[in-house]
Amino acid sequence: MFFANPQSLTDFVKSPKNDAKIARRLWVCGGPGCLAAGSAALLTALENAAKAAGLSEKPELRTDMTGCLGLCERGPLVGVEPEGHLYEKVVPADAEELIERTLKKGELIERLVNDPKNPGRQEHPFYKPQTSLIMRRMGRIRPDSLEDYLSADGYKALALALGELSPEEVSRRVEASGLRGRGGGGFPAGLKWSSCRLAPGEIKYVIANGDEGDPGAFMNRSLMEGDPFAVVEGLTLGAYAVGARSGFIYVRHEYPLSVERLERAIAQAEKCGLLGRNILGSGFDFHLETVEGGGAFVCGESTALMASIEGREGQPRVKYVRSVERGLWDCPTLLQNVESWANVPLIVEKGPDWFASLGAKNNSGTKVFSLVGQVRRSGLAEMPLGSPIRVLVQDVGGGARPGRTIKAVQTGGPSGGCLPLSELDLPLDFDHLPAAGAIMGSGGLIVMDDLSCMVDVARYFTNFLKGESCGKCAPCREGLGLILRILEGLCRGQGHPGDGQELQSLGRSLSLTALCGLGQSAANPLLSTLRYFAEEYQEHEEGFCRSGRCQGLFHPAIDPDVCTGCGACAKACPSSVISGGKKEPHVVDLDGCISCGACLAACRFGAAKAVRKK
Amino acid sequence: MTKQQFIHVDADATVKPMPQTSDLVSGTIDGREVAVPWGTTLLEAAASIGTVIPTLCHHPALPPDGNCRLCLVEVDSRLAASCLFPLRRSGFSVSTESPKVFEARAFVLKLLLSRAPNDEYLKELAVKYEAAPDPRLGDLADGCVRCGRCVRACQATGTEAISLVGRSQERQVTGPFFEPPAQCVGCLACAKVCPTGYIVFSEERTSRSIWGRDFEMVLCPICGEPVGSLQELARAGAAEELCPACRRRAMASALVSGPGLSL
Repeated sequence: MFFANPQSLTDFVKSPKNDAKIARRLWVCGGPGCLAAGSAALLTALENAAKAAGLSEKPELRTDMTGCLGLCERGPLVGVEPEGHLYEKVVPADAEELIERTLKKGELIERLVNDPKNPGRQEHPFYKPQTSLIMRRMGRIRPDSLEDYLSADGYKALALALGELSPEEVSRRVEASGLRGRGGGGFPAGLKWSSCRLAPGEIKYVIANGDEGDPGAFMNRSLMEGDPFAVVEGLTLGAYAVGARSGFIYVRHEYPLSVERLERAIAQAEKCGLLGRNILGSGFDFHLETVEGGGAFVCGESTALMASIEGREGQPRVKYVRSVERGLWDCPTLLQNVESWANVPLIVEKGPDWFASLGAKNNSGTKVFSLVGQVRRSGLAEMPLGSPIRVLVQDVGGGARPGRTIKAVQTGGPSGGCLPLSELDLPLDFDHLPAAGAIMGSGGLIVMDDLSCMVDVARYFTNFLKGESCGKCAPCREGLGLILRILEGLCRGQGHPGDGQELQSLGRSLSLTALCGLGQSAANPLLSTLRYFAEEYQEHEEGFCRSGRCQGLFHPAIDPDVCTGCGACAKACPSSVISGGKKEPHVVDLDGCISCGACLAACRFGAAKAVRKK
Repeated sequence: MTKQQFIHVDADATVKPMPQTSDLVSGTIDGREVAVPWGTTLLEAAASIGTVIPTLCHHPALPPDGNCRLCLVEVDSRLAASCLFPLRRSGFSVSTESPKVFEARAFVLKLLLSRAPNDEYLKELAVKYEAAPDPRLGDLADGCVRCGRCVRACQATGTEAISLVGRSQERQVTGPFFEPPAQCVGCLACAKVCPTGYIVFSEERTSRSIWGRDFEMVLCPICGEPVGSLQELARAGAAEELCPACRRRAMASALVSGPGLSL
């Protein structure tokens, strides 16, 4: 397989291939969540069962691993092609039945689907509100197969660009699409592209930022592992547009599978004439390689990332002169998040108007969100930009867990903000979130319920950011330490009147004075919780935690009118101080209670509550 | 140097060619008109009209780093580190003592003072900006403000014996593996640029000690005064060297008695 010109690529896709004969396929999810839940063992079990059933001679019935299917909470997942059914929580013991009934006969196994009346993935409440662009090949291709990628419209954009479009036109399409950077800031991508294209310099670089460091975020990882060629093709288009001949994909060290898949994709593309010298016979050269990060959160910041590639300490620099003018090794550099890059082939192929028609005003396209925390269905969800948070939390995520109510949604990772219930109708886009004190970030969404203490949440994120502060500038290095000390005091019951007010002023000063984006946004968790949950700070100053999270700052009390006498709290109590008869209201004996909050978490009816200490 | 055509990105999201590097840009600093060559830093522009902006990590002989945040000023209602901010467009309006700047400096000073509470310069600024170290930061007072002037000086000499290591509040200046740095030549450049006197050294006529290492001094063959450490002079490619005073004298006498000065 070698493509000497754009036409040969088009001919190859049109030619009949073995895959065209596939009658049915079981797609085992190979996303991070499902792999952790044992989907690799499941695939082995399925392959063994297929062999035992004599299917190794029948290439039309297959079992394969694909990229992330999204509904991680219910993994390991198996998708059935062509029926489109989605099996949840599949274990190796189900393998034989899956082969015999589903793969061979096309039958539905009812106990493995969410709703037997609507067994398809499209009708599933988790998927119904979603729009799949970035994730569209998940469940349709094997991530490490170039042939699969080609048959799923892969490299169509590059063939078009190198065959018919000038670099200016490729750049123009991205500019006109209104694409905004998916890494967090939402900087207009077209502006970066045109600036970098026009910047003087013989040598230019393109870089993909895959240093996804936010706790609980895994959308970039799923993309790199599930559809690596999309990132490679995007970078190739970018290099063509701005005139770069070298590029790097910076992947965090903790993602070995991403590195492996990307490197395999690069090697295959090089072998087939889609990367390297004289791509598709056009005379355009582009060399691409991966770089592994060393594990510093701050290296997700663009200038620190470039310092890291150069082999220097990963520290940000002041960006008065932008990277598109002077970036990697002081050359003009176009750096984007991997998800931004994956959007590029779509924009080039389908046109900027089509892309701009998706999403909201000034916020074209979709965004992949990692929905985690206290919701019924967590996982990866791709939504048009501008979708209300409520749709993601209530419809996709299924709302709060039994007996709980949702209190806040934290968006944008550790330096994002906590939004209260009243802000849930806010559109998820690059303009509305910052106005409300949160950020889009890379798309993390952590749902918190009434057991989450907002002061403790601020303490947690501040602690994370303090540990990840590179220590270059004084405000971030020492200021976060000071803020953390005060927050820790509040959570231990050693707060003072006026702490909230002082934190407000410290947070504001930190945002004003820090050197880089990390420091400037590091006060967001603090400032947003102060803005929306000021009463909790006030209570902590007085030594009370209403959420029952900060140990020693509350007494548990069971509401006899609500208690059903199920005994779950008594079972959870480590000090055995809860008593009560079956189906009778239970009582806590405070003498001996360590106020750990286990009973509050155990109660499914909201009867156990935190009250002020007497 | 060849002239480069620079580009810049405007706030109104258009790309425009930059003016030539020899052009002047003009604007106001604290209401006073100023015109400087394109690309001049704000700190330099302010100095050119006699406006003093407090600095700590800045040193005229070293590349700017912008880490201490003391030199923040308000440019078109946003804060910017003046030691790094290049003036590349006319019409700028800078305020070096606005309420926002005052608040920022007070905050930064409070934090820097927790590291070096006895530094005279910081104490002086603290009075002006009404700042005091916060006892809740704990005892961090080791005297080092982590400005990295020492590290940049060591880099500038080409030695690179010391560096800033560690993240967050663990960040500190040290040799590799927290050991006396093997690359150190005992030139004392780091100690000389340290703004707080944190880097200690001892010096006698025949020896010198810094960073846990001892160095032998080369003595001037004429007057016997110390010239520099053996390694320091070896790095400069001069194993035997007269002290500055004797060198001047030797040159002067060569000029008077000889046919001319050969350098």
